[in-house]
Amino acid sequence: MRVPVEWLRSLVPTRAPTGEIAERLTDAGFEVETIHRTGDDWGEIVVAEVIAINAHPNADRLNLPTVRFGDNKLQVVCGAWNFKVGDKVALAKAGAVLWDPYATEPTRKKVKPTKVRGVLSVGMLCSPRELGLSVSHEGIMTLAPDALSGTPLAELLGDEVIEFELKANRPDALSVLGIAREVAALFNAPLLTPVDSGRLPRVDLGLHVDIEIDDAELCPRYSAAFVTDVRVIESPSWMRHRLELAGMRPINSIVDATNYVMFELGQPMHAFDWSKIHGGRITVRCAQPGEHLVTLDGRDRQLSSDSLVIADADRPVALAGVMGGADSEVTELSTTVLLESATFNQYSVRRTAHSQALRSEASRRFEKGLPPELTTVALHRCVELIEEIGAGRGEVLSGDAYPAPTPLEPVRLNFSRIERLMGLSYERSDVYRSLNAIDFQVAEDGDDLVVTPPYWRRDVADAADVIEEVARLTGYNRIPDRMPSGRVTDTVPGELDARDDEIVDVMVGLGFNECVTYALTSKARMGRLLPPGLPDRDTEAPLGWPQGWVQVKAEAMNDVGRQVADALLPLHGEPVELKNWLSADENVLRLTSLGTMLETLRANRRHVDRDLLLFEYGPSFRHREGSVPQESRLLTFVTGETLTATRWDGVTSVSMPFLRGVLDEVLSREGLLPDIGETRTPTVRHVALIHPTFTDGEAAAIIAQGSAVAAYGRINRDVAAAFDFEEAVWAGILDPQPVRRAAPRISFAPWSQFPPARRDVAIIVNIEVATEDLMTTMRRTGKKLLRDVRLFDEYRGPPVAHEKRSLAFALTYGADDRTLTDADVDQLHERVVGALRKRFGAELRS
Amino acid sequence: MVTDQIAVLVKQATIELSATSDLAAVEAWRVKYLGRRGELTQILRSIGQLPDDERQPAGQAANQAREKLEAARGSREQDLLRTGSRESIDVTLPGYPPRIGSVHPVTRVMRDIRRVLAPLGFRSVGGPEVETDRYNFELLNIPSGHPARDMWDTFHVRDEARPGELLLRTHTSPVQARVMEAMRPPVRVIVPGKVYRYEDRDASHESEFHQVEGLAIDEHITMADLRGTLTYLVRALFGPERTLRIRASYFPFTEPSAEAEMSCHMCDGSGCRTCGGNGWIEILGAGMVHPRVLAGVHYDPDQYQGFAFGIGVERIAMLKYGIPDIRMFHTNDLRMLRQFR
Repeated sequence: MRVPVEWLRSLVPTRAPTGEIAERLTDAGFEVETIHRTGDDWGEIVVAEVIAINAHPNADRLNLPTVRFGDNKLQVVCGAWNFKVGDKVALAKAGAVLWDPYATEPTRKKVKPTKVRGVLSVGMLCSPRELGLSVSHEGIMTLAPDALSGTPLAELLGDEVIEFELKANRPDALSVLGIAREVAALFNAPLLTPVDSGRLPRVDLGLHVDIEIDDAELCPRYSAAFVTDVRVIESPSWMRHRLELAGMRPINSIVDATNYVMFELGQPMHAFDWSKIHGGRITVRCAQPGEHLVTLDGRDRQLSSDSLVIADADRPVALAGVMGGADSEVTELSTTVLLESATFNQYSVRRTAHSQALRSEASRRFEKGLPPELTTVALHRCVELIEEIGAGRGEVLSGDAYPAPTPLEPVRLNFSRIERLMGLSYERSDVYRSLNAIDFQVAEDGDDLVVTPPYWRRDVADAADVIEEVARLTGYNRIPDRMPSGRVTDTVPGELDARDDEIVDVMVGLGFNECVTYALTSKARMGRLLPPGLPDRDTEAPLGWPQGWVQVKAEAMNDVGRQVADALLPLHGEPVELKNWLSADENVLRLTSLGTMLETLRANRRHVDRDLLLFEYGPSFRHREGSVPQESRLLTFVTGETLTATRWDGVTSVSMPFLRGVLDEVLSREGLLPDIGETRTPTVRHVALIHPTFTDGEAAAIIAQGSAVAAYGRINRDVAAAFDFEEAVWAGILDPQPVRRAAPRISFAPWSQFPPARRDVAIIVNIEVATEDLMTTMRRTGKKLLRDVRLFDEYRGPPVAHEKRSLAFALTYGADDRTLTDADVDQLHERVVGALRKRFGAELRS
Repeated sequence: MVTDQIAVLVKQATIELSATSDLAAVEAWRVKYLGRRGELTQILRSIGQLPDDERQPAGQAANQAREKLEAARGSREQDLLRTGSRESIDVTLPGYPPRIGSVHPVTRVMRDIRRVLAPLGFRSVGGPEVETDRYNFELLNIPSGHPARDMWDTFHVRDEARPGELLLRTHTSPVQARVMEAMRPPVRVIVPGKVYRYEDRDASHESEFHQVEGLAIDEHITMADLRGTLTYLVRALFGPERTLRIRASYFPFTEPSAEAEMSCHMCDGSGCRTCGGNGWIEILGAGMVHPRVLAGVHYDPDQYQGFAFGIGVERIAMLKYGIPDIRMFHTNDLRMLRQFR
């Protein structure tokens, strides 16, 4: 809201500089966004009087006014015609800086002596737009006739405007008077209230209006007053000037007077041309089916039955609290006017304003809930103003429907409550003074205070509200710094799990960079995670099309793939869709972050060629019928193809064992022991994964306790291409929840005091033989004495036969209670190797 | 005893090794002790003939001695190389780069805040990002149709079964209500997490960003406790010289409400570009939990009171690290992320 400072000071005379007023108001809860200072950039612009207007010798569209300012005279070239000899105008002399009225971006330009069509002009007459006063550039600005020529324009028109950020709780502060009240209280200054109920004589114009309110819930009060002998003229310049500074376009004397009251007192008003009101009656009711109304902005609006309207005997004439109708608008022909000053239900006005996409200065005020007591005060003030500016003669109050007055409830609070809430003791006298300064009445009842706020402070309903008033007026910065003492909670429902932090730390330790990607994406973007050419992939709905997906399932997945699709990569699932969105690319919540992660990888690929290791540990969302969506926090990581090897220059490639190493490390932190070297029976199985997002033969899933907890591998070539990759990209997805255990992860285990013995074995086996099976067999055979089995080489190629491969293991033997002799170890090792020979047909490699 | 013999041998060999002056001398020394016919080798060979009970300790001792002498020889060679010919080792070679990742700045700031407040008894909790109108608004004293709803531009979720009920949470405050519904006071929690606003993006506005919510409820938690906690937090994040000022404000779920500002950490309050010239930076919103919010979760507002605050995580990170554009947090450019190692 814009508050012109001159207007403000007329209600609260204080010498405090504007900057200080703004600071104190901000401290007290009225946040000042900016102070606009009009006129402080008006150097070399003065008031001048037009003393002659000559024709331009070379151009019909231009003229040559001569102006006088002080003792000087000047002829300038001018393109406007809206002035005559004797008018006062704004003259910009050479050196003045004006706004360029034709620029699309705000641009300043300096006035220089210029020849215009052969005639020298050493200054120019300004339009409001060139002065930065309004957008108007239809002609030059004419000033008040009594303006003294030669005075700097800034002295005449310069003003400061404080712009406040609107808060939702203080409708009273949406007015110059409301702000003035606060300033008066903060600076201990007098308040010159513009409302004096004794000033106007009660006249009887002999007119009558019937006012009927259908539902007092929707319209608690409707007051109206007649004005006759109406003169719809231009309102005086002081009124127009204040309205313009407040951000309202002046229209005519009657409309300006109602708007002026709205800005001054906060009560929106409306003026009807009484001759257009049928049947001499006003009804406040909900719109009936099929009714419509052409509003002041010229739009024909279909009215819904929950829209509150003002109607005459036949039809709606205004959208209550939002905008008047065009048909009953005040015009130059109006002779009698009915002024409306009413209170409408805040929710109803808000709903109507929203559904009609029509927020007006009026609706903004009603939405915040106005007090019914204000209607008559505003009517009175408006009639007074209309008479003052010679726009008509009015009754103070001609009709008033107020079916159910609701008195304000006083608030009762124990005095000690203030200290208890604020942590700071207050003097009774300070409390009374603060509250009295904003017109709160305070009475004592034992230890209780009984506080009655003024009618314009219906937002004060609780003890806490009163305490806030005391606190803000005495200054928040009196409050001391203290640390909360007292009891501390042990556990809290929904507490974050430290293991989630650990997952991030492990990934960072493994070289991955944490990302946070947008949760909002689109079906089409996620659809790129399936390769083109899948059945139905190219139909209109690439996702959430059950039949198509069933086909995909059957043809392009194994059982593990189906498990992965359900648990980790639910591209067939129904995403959470938004009702309103900013862009069609972001209208659903992601089912997986794999898509946004691949996009992120791609963007980074443009400037990074190796060690592209990214992860996100964030939520994925799935719609659930009849319930809140499912949110699961998954670890998703993606990598490019190339890694720096241990030396500076060397590179290696990302591979399946690299990804598995990452996942095994994360899982081990969860208390799982996927490193089968340390446990007899693996709790985790890695199995081949066939899923269309991944590459067959280069993808695996981790199954733990019967469910798929992770999937990893190389992204399908066509999918990678859809994300604009030319090289291989790899990804992994892990859901730690199903395997997360309550038990502490680390528990100390003693080790043997006796030296271990190492034996190596290199074997050649068929390619189909799983390494894990070999290792399990070795472990089962070696039992407790075989402490560790580690793979140290895999080799395929000559001289090893085509369908075979060579695997080399390092085995560590040892006992808890003795040193194994060479002979013990040899014998044991022979048994282990023998088992491999027997079960897998392994040949020893020489 | 063979083990004593070995110990003597090691001592003697070590002395001799330290007297060598070039690589040739080291090689001669190696042949003498560790060579095929070297003195230690001889002892090793003889161990097989020892009685059973001596064999094992002797073998162990001999092996250890061998390793020790081998290591000593290696380091002696290195020493001689280094002093003998300075050019052969370039100590200015860059180190092998270790592969270490980075924590996202948003996570980093959220962790900082948690770490500062944990010792004060604040426990970190989470909550759903898809919320209901009840938790996001109603229980926070923001009834439907209230103009305060304009403070939060909201993404609504399409849901035929319950139209208008589901939304993307616009703040972390709904978790306040969830926590209080689920437990009795005392309550001290912080809630780090993502929030959503139906708002066009520019350098200072995001549709997805993060907040940390704080809540403390007990019988005697006061506004002074709020101020002290915030001062402590701001100093921990931005340095011990920071001062805090609070100004009256309005939030529907707190009464009194406050806006907290800290003295600018760039210019120390004298005015600069970061603080817009006035020396103060708006840093968070806070207040005493509104009695209607307490009553809504069945806490007796006459018995319990407390404070709540909400901090914008990206805003803190931008101020602290000088990040110029809030959209950079979701861009995840490695050139930015790598700066947060």
